[in-house]
Amino acid sequence: MKWTGDLAHFPYPFKDSTYRYSNNSIPMKQPFCIEVTPSYKKEMLLKRKLLSDHPERCYQSLPHSITGQWEIVELLIDHLISQYPQHFSVEKENNSWIFFNKILDEKVEFIFGDENSLSCEPLFFISHHVQEDLIYMRQRDDDLYLDAGQLCFPANWSLAFNIGMKFKNIHHPIPGFKEEGLDQRILQFLMRLEAGTPWERLNWSLMAGDRLDTSLETFDQWGKLRKHVTRENAGELVHIRVEVQKLFRLPRTNSILFSIHTHLLSLEQLSTNREWLQQFYEILSELHAHIVEYKGISHYKASLMHYLEEQLERVKAT
Amino acid sequence: MKNKAVFINGKRKYIFCGDEQGLKLLSNVLEKGKEEGLTYDRYLLSDLKMTLLQDFLKSQKMGTFVYLAIPFLVLQQFRKALEDIGYLEEDVQYIGYGERKIPVFCCRCHEINMSNQEQNRLFCNRCSLELEVSDHYSAMHNAFLGYVAKL
Ligand code: HEM
Ligand SMILES: [Zn+2]
Repeated sequence: MKWTGDLAHFPYPFKDSTYRYSNNSIPMKQPFCIEVTPSYKKEMLLKRKLLSDHPERCYQSLPHSITGQWEIVELLIDHLISQYPQHFSVEKENNSWIFFNKILDEKVEFIFGDENSLSCEPLFFISHHVQEDLIYMRQRDDDLYLDAGQLCFPANWSLAFNIGMKFKNIHHPIPGFKEEGLDQRILQFLMRLEAGTPWERLNWSLMAGDRLDTSLETFDQWGKLRKHVTRENAGELVHIRVEVQKLFRLPRTNSILFSIHTHLLSLEQLSTNREWLQQFYEILSELHAHIVEYKGISHYKASLMHYLEEQLERVKAT
Repeated sequence: MKNKAVFINGKRKYIFCGDEQGLKLLSNVLEKGKEEGLTYDRYLLSDLKMTLLQDFLKSQKMGTFVYLAIPFLVLQQFRKALEDIGYLEEDVQYIGYGERKIPVFCCRCHEINMSNQEQNRLFCNRCSLELEVSDHYSAMHNAFLGYVAKL
């Protein structure tokens, strides 16, 4: 099964021909935290299978997160029906809600705020209707804590390990992050996040293969493909993985919803855009060794560069 | 991390802190402090209550030096907690005692394995995956993350 997205809608992540870690968040133009793409059905099928087969890996929550979870349900349903009224709708009578997902032909009835009216936790329920992974960060004592989350398509990290963790601690594995004071600056930025003014950022990495579910728990399986990259197959095998990450303040619980929508594109497809190819090549040529290592590119960087050089020559010749 | 306290002179104030066993390990430096006529507090950490200690340490002035003597098993947890409230490496001497083992969280099956401090790699007891111990720490699990050691 191919999970690669289409070129026209791909959130190409680069502006300059160099890449450094920075706070690259920008205010959102359209304040919606979800996006329904043409692969909606396919991805929902995969996501639901992961949620039911591996609940501990894909879903975690602490008991006091329930109120915040309802806030997320409200926000997401609101965004779904205003952004995609042809696909989603809701009927509300006092606290009795009936939610309709017309793409999947489903109807869910529940009492808003009453956990017993659903067969699962509120965040778990709404996760079954959006492509995004959803992380709930609660603000207390001048810090942000990962108090609940649904994560099916992680870029090689473990929600089960990170549950309950503080923002800076979560980012501990990233080389240079603490040393450059970035973790502190980003935390301050997040704590000032205001309701009604959401922000978004793009994060990118490379992977061998086209799996969406690259969890740390299964790294021993999918990570092996890194060793199979050659200059001949790099175009097909290596994918750029871009996460559209959105940050919304939830005013009632003074917490933050962090949503992650993951897109994949093969380098072959990326190379069909001349400017992208040139810029991407320049970025990789110049990328600091510690970032190359952290993003897991070291194994196959040489083959990758050969592949890109060949593509550049091909383009120049035409 | 040490297993014996070393006296450091010239600080504004000292705090000697530990559980019962730990305070015994600090008796030599405490005596030395008394001899030198230094300002100090003795803090008994009953039940290893981290939050109470945090509150106590938060209320101290700049220039306070801390000796903390507790079992190796909980040492990392306390180190993080102290760092969180602004006590840096140079402000604290950590003295551990007892079994020198650290808990390692298996990235594949989530089992928490006990590993010898010295060894950087181990096999998970439950799923047999070879793990490489990292310094990524979770206070909730009181464990360090073990990553896939080799592909
Ligand atoms: C508040 C919600 C956020 C959560 C829950 C979160 C979580 C994470 C996690 C789990 C990782 C992977 C760490 C690992 O290797 O284990 C990561 C990486 C990273 N995060 Fe965040 N993050 C958040 C917000 C942000 C923001 C606002 C920024 C920047 C403005 C940021 C910048 C980064 C960067 C640069 C990386 C490294 C990615 C790479 O090189 O591929 N994060 N984040
Ligand atoms: Zn295991």
